Amino acid sequence: MATKSLSPGRWGSSSGMNGRDREERRLAFRMTAPSLVLMALVAAVPIGYALWLSLNQYSVRTAGLSRFVGLDNYVAALSGPHWWAAFGQTFLFAGLSVSLELVLGTAMALLLNLAFKGRALLRTVVLLPYAVVTVVSAITWETMFQPNLGLVTNVLSTLGLPGGDVIWLGEHGYAMAVIVLADVWKTTPFAALIILAGLQVIPAETYEAAELDGASKWQAFVHVTLPLLRPAIVLAAIFRTMDALRVFDLPFVLTRGANGTESMSMLAYTQLRENRLVGEGSALSILTFLTVMVVSVVYIRFAGGNIREVAKEEQ
Amino acid sequence: MDLIRPSFPLHEETTAASVPSARRSGMGAASRRRTRITAAAAAAMAAGLLLTACGGGAATQGADQPAAADPASAANATGSLNVCGGKDASGIYKGTVEAFTKANGKVTAKYTEIGATTDEARTQAVQRLEGKSSECDIFVTDVIWTSEFASQGWLLDQTKLVEANKDRLIPSTVETAKYEDKYWASPFFTNAGLVYYQKDKVAKPETWQQLYAEAAGAEGNSYVYQGKQYEGLTVNFLEMLYSAGGEVLDENGEVRIDSPETREVLDFMVKGLEDGSADRAVLTYNEDPARLAYESGNFGYQRNWPHVYRLLNATPLAGTFGVAPLPAWEGGKASGVLGGWNLAISAHSTNQAGAVAFIDFATTPDWQKHVAMDFSQAPVNEAAYADPEVLAKMPFATELLASVKGAKPRPISPVYPQISQAIYKNVYAVLSGAATTEDAVKTMAEEITAAKASF
Repeated sequence: MATKSLSPGRWGSSSGMNGRDREERRLAFRMTAPSLVLMALVAAVPIGYALWLSLNQYSVRTAGLSRFVGLDNYVAALSGPHWWAAFGQTFLFAGLSVSLELVLGTAMALLLNLAFKGRALLRTVVLLPYAVVTVVSAITWETMFQPNLGLVTNVLSTLGLPGGDVIWLGEHGYAMAVIVLADVWKTTPFAALIILAGLQVIPAETYEAAELDGASKWQAFVHVTLPLLRPAIVLAAIFRTMDALRVFDLPFVLTRGANGTESMSMLAYTQLRENRLVGEGSALSILTFLTVMVVSVVYIRFAGGNIREVAKEEQ
Repeated sequence: MDLIRPSFPLHEETTAASVPSARRSGMGAASRRRTRITAAAAAAMAAGLLLTACGGGAATQGADQPAAADPASAANATGSLNVCGGKDASGIYKGTVEAFTKANGKVTAKYTEIGATTDEARTQAVQRLEGKSSECDIFVTDVIWTSEFASQGWLLDQTKLVEANKDRLIPSTVETAKYEDKYWASPFFTNAGLVYYQKDKVAKPETWQQLYAEAAGAEGNSYVYQGKQYEGLTVNFLEMLYSAGGEVLDENGEVRIDSPETREVLDFMVKGLEDGSADRAVLTYNEDPARLAYESGNFGYQRNWPHVYRLLNATPLAGTFGVAPLPAWEGGKASGVLGGWNLAISAHSTNQAGAVAFIDFATTPDWQKHVAMDFSQAPVNEAAYADPEVLAKMPFATELLASVKGAKPRPISPVYPQISQAIYKNVYAVLSGAATTEDAVKTMAEEITAAKASF
């Protein structure tokens, strides 16, 4: 691979650690220590505090009253129906929206990678939906799917297409479809951008080699582009999945969680902010956070395996 | 939740351009895995941060008895006064502090907007009160916040002040400031639902049954209300429930929602959606979409708040619609649910005398006329509704007064938000067909009982 030229010989050796390596590792550790401390302060302290809150109950009836309840808040959340409903709904949303975003994002990236006039401009323009504040775009989608007056419903019924007389945000299934659509519209450009970056580091020689071997365009895409693009796609998938699992503003504006669209974050928000049930709400936030973390770890291991394979093949 | 994205790069190995990096670093496989997991954990931590960072704010207030406001103190009030509340859309807050400052001469009042929406204003008020901030002397509070704020000891007891002013305040509006036999705020301006109807198509509704029957009578007569899953649905449902003689909590605070009246009202609403009395689109409507739908001219009736009057008059429907108080239940009486805003004095105010003087001014019959004339809000003083100047600006004042006087507060409880959720989620489940009336009523009662048992 062309990237080999980036690897000076000294780094290529995998002959275990010598004294010099150890010294360099110590240096690396010393140099990263300040940022590790900063990260601990910024990330660990609030999470630790939330963890502590989640092990207590704070009275909403009497000022200042609180008691330690151990894991009661978690038991209550996990044994009730609300958490699991929100859990399932959030994963359904994340699964649908992230897969659509990756497929469309890949297609978009391939188009943007072609050489044509005005490419730079177009690359900027496609990012526009991503620049729109989510709440604002949610309100726009709500207006468009409004029964009687909305643009989408009007166009559908004028053209005699199905869906014109559907109360989109008032029906199970349809409401989820609108939320997925709103998310796909907004964040596909983001996925496309990451995938485009991955596309650009694929060296042209690999395609030339494929062509010489008699591969068709489709074969080249399936056997050259996709495998080399996998790290980029996985990265986009990680970012998008983490975001999607924390989805809040879209269901909050579009349905208020009605019709099977309440997400884990919405549930935590309701308990924390609206009901001021600080203990229960914190437990739900921690559960949300653990869910996202487990999913991320799984993803990153999967991506790591892929990269290890590539590295091995190279050797 | 787009506010926080992990802005630091994930571990190099996961980025697209980093294939060679695994070879560059001399680390062993085990340590590589460790770094990866650290990176994963760090990324996930950042992801969880926003939620958890919002999670603070446990009550830390001592349970000491709050002091009471002294009505006589107003005479000697001086200094500056800060009134805090939500967005001043009608201009009433700024208008009132300016008029007060001018009239009083000794106290200088100003208005501070602490939130663009009602939810945000509540969050901001709660943060200041929990932190014992003395920044705000007076909070403009939604009527449903009273018991929550009072139970936390955040407010000054206004019982004496309210008693002294009682003869100039409409009794139903005063009840919104009550919690455990004391008054914790003074009503400032009120709000009650009205029915707007197309005079050319349908008759003025006397009963809900008559309204629904007429609405189903012909194409383009149907009724729009607020049926989205939110606070507004609680209000729309309770307006019918109260007029049918039902209640959520009785005088002793016992849960009374599991009643024949609740079932009757729910079945009535479901039937209305099925036979076309009410447009099914109401399942997605809050106030504005309901108004916009009605403005299309394709409907006969609309339930909405008084502010819609002015907006409807700016459309082609001007002159074609009438305004009516909320109708009665057949064989029952007319009722409704009170909205509106109260003035509460912060327990940490450093100018309590000034605050009392401000409340005295804001509730005078004379200023209450301005509340209606200058800002189109519903006064809390009865005489204002009969004033010729007010009637000239607000021709439906008589109907509005009828709605206000017949209306009752929403359930009074420090856990009101949970009670309201139990109502609107279960009512929505019935209306959308996801649950049967019987199941929803049982769940509603269970959830309200559980909420009341909150620690």
